[in-house]
Amino acid sequence: MSEHTPMERSMVEFGPLLERLLAGEFICAVSDEGAFRRLQDEETRERIDAYLRPLNRRLASNDEGSVYFLAWRVLDEAAREQLSRQLGETVASLLPLLEWLQLVQEALGRDGPAAPGEVLKPADFSSRCEDNQGLRERLERLATDPFFGSQSDQLDAQLKQVFKRLKEHGYLLQPHADRQYYLVTAKIDYLIDLARFIRDEENLPVDDQAPSGQESLL
Amino acid sequence: MSVDHPHALESRLVSTGVERLTLLGKHAEALMAGYARDEVPLEGLSTTALNRLLAARILWRPDEQGGVKLAPKVRELIAEMLADESRRHVNADVAETLELLRSLVQSYREARDGGEYWRQEQQLLRLRQEVDDLNGRFADAIDSLWRRLNGDFGFVSRLGDKIRENQRAQKQIVRLLDGLALIDFDELIELVGSDGALRKLLVSGLQQQLTQHYTSLREVQRRLVELMARFRQQQSRSRLVAGMAGFLREHPGFVPGNYARRGEVPALVNRAAPLVAAGAAALDHHPDSRVLGELLHRLPRPAPRPQPVTAAGAAAPQEDTLVAARQQALKEDVERFYLAVVDGGEGLSALEFLQQGEYEWSEEIWLFQVIAEFQGLPRSEQRAFRLSQQESQASRYNHVRLIHDVTLQLA
Repeated sequence: MSEHTPMERSMVEFGPLLERLLAGEFICAVSDEGAFRRLQDEETRERIDAYLRPLNRRLASNDEGSVYFLAWRVLDEAAREQLSRQLGETVASLLPLLEWLQLVQEALGRDGPAAPGEVLKPADFSSRCEDNQGLRERLERLATDPFFGSQSDQLDAQLKQVFKRLKEHGYLLQPHADRQYYLVTAKIDYLIDLARFIRDEENLPVDDQAPSGQESLL
Repeated sequence: MSVDHPHALESRLVSTGVERLTLLGKHAEALMAGYARDEVPLEGLSTTALNRLLAARILWRPDEQGGVKLAPKVRELIAEMLADESRRHVNADVAETLELLRSLVQSYREARDGGEYWRQEQQLLRLRQEVDDLNGRFADAIDSLWRRLNGDFGFVSRLGDKIRENQRAQKQIVRLLDGLALIDFDELIELVGSDGALRKLLVSGLQQQLTQHYTSLREVQRRLVELMARFRQQQSRSRLVAGMAGFLREHPGFVPGNYARRGEVPALVNRAAPLVAAGAAALDHHPDSRVLGELLHRLPRPAPRPQPVTAAGAAAPQEDTLVAARQQALKEDVERFYLAVVDGGEGLSALEFLQQGEYEWSEEIWLFQVIAEFQGLPRSEQRAFRLSQQESQASRYNHVRLIHDVTLQLA
């Protein structure tokens, strides 16, 4: 053990976290509470950044700081190629994901789109969809979208596929592999931030503020 | 005789009170029906009963032609008893209570100075009741605020209503705090003078209770503001999600700028490619070789697998393979288009090529892949082509451009 420098020794504890970050995972309070708490510490972030430097990577987060991921440190041609491709894929997945968020909000009668930490159960959706033909049709359309890619015409199989894909993309977490309930991760925050960013950059006619007249009427 | 008179008055009040309170229980069902609906149903009530309820001011008739309704105080009483937050009232009127306290203190003093002990006792009792009422009003208001807060304003279902209810609750807190500010302890100290009983009631006791109310109100206020921020965030998110989804549905050809090609790449877009920290068994570290040897011995022998297991195992990845195969086919068709441009030497429309070649791809997917293929080319190869987009502005209110077709030619 004496051959290890103090720097290496202190990084050992971050091994599993580094591995997850390098694999492209998003780390948030839901996906890994302990790691997320440690990432709140600036000194820890600096140490991880220093460690990642030779790999041309650094820690990044969204504006709220609710989710961490790795960014390129220096953007060379290859990195830009990869980012262009990745952006294209993300943009292509934007509509199905936003429609899913809308569907969840309406089906479960929630006040807002699914937020980090919320519990979602496929069973709740199937019971709502069985009672409501409109929801059933929307779910069907969504599940057969290329992003979710369900080939089935059975409600339960479609739901299973939708949840599976959301889990694969890190928007949902399944705490127990044999139990059908899922937690929403803060990667949802990232997706919504990205939607807002595109709206602002492209000056899209999409308003997220309540009309101001509504409150002055009271 | 003059001493007996107030006693007689008191006992008359008590007996009438008991009689009228009994009315509440006797007609509970009709009264609750009036609470739940607009009017009290008269079917089950006799004329005598109705007249008694009206005389007790439990019911009233707003106008001659109209129906009979619950008196406001009775409605409030029921709302309090049920903790029915949608109808509970918050009474923040402190000024009048203070006025009453001042005059009761005056009468108390006059009775004390005149040696009228019974009247003095009565005034002190009224004072105590008024102070208790004042306290009770704050305590009820705070209880009602906490209930609404802890239930996330669940008694209304829509977010817009919750935001309005939260605003209303915040205004009530401001009125309650204003009411507390009206109570001037310097004035009360002067008012009670050296009387020990009054001092205990109106100064030390009240001060302690009001300090508690003040702290609770500030805490509820802080939490309401926090909750409001959450409501607002939810509202803004849900509008953004609905708005963006609507926009993307209406503009299927929408392609945002390639932010990855900007001088300064936006932070959200900069997500490094995944990297797998791979590892393999190595024999260059002598002490490890024995461990590896043992692991090797423990490996299960490959046995001929029963048929059903193989079939079940292959079913799951098939879906992914299918998607990947389609993606590959699309990519190959697009490459054919690029080769056609190189071979022909002149510009070709991507859509015309698609239609002539009788490919099965939808136009949108086809255009997207043609553009993606161009963007995916190394810079040096990109320079060999010119990709011109036939586009139009989506609306005059923004800079979104819709791509209808692209033409590829050799540069």
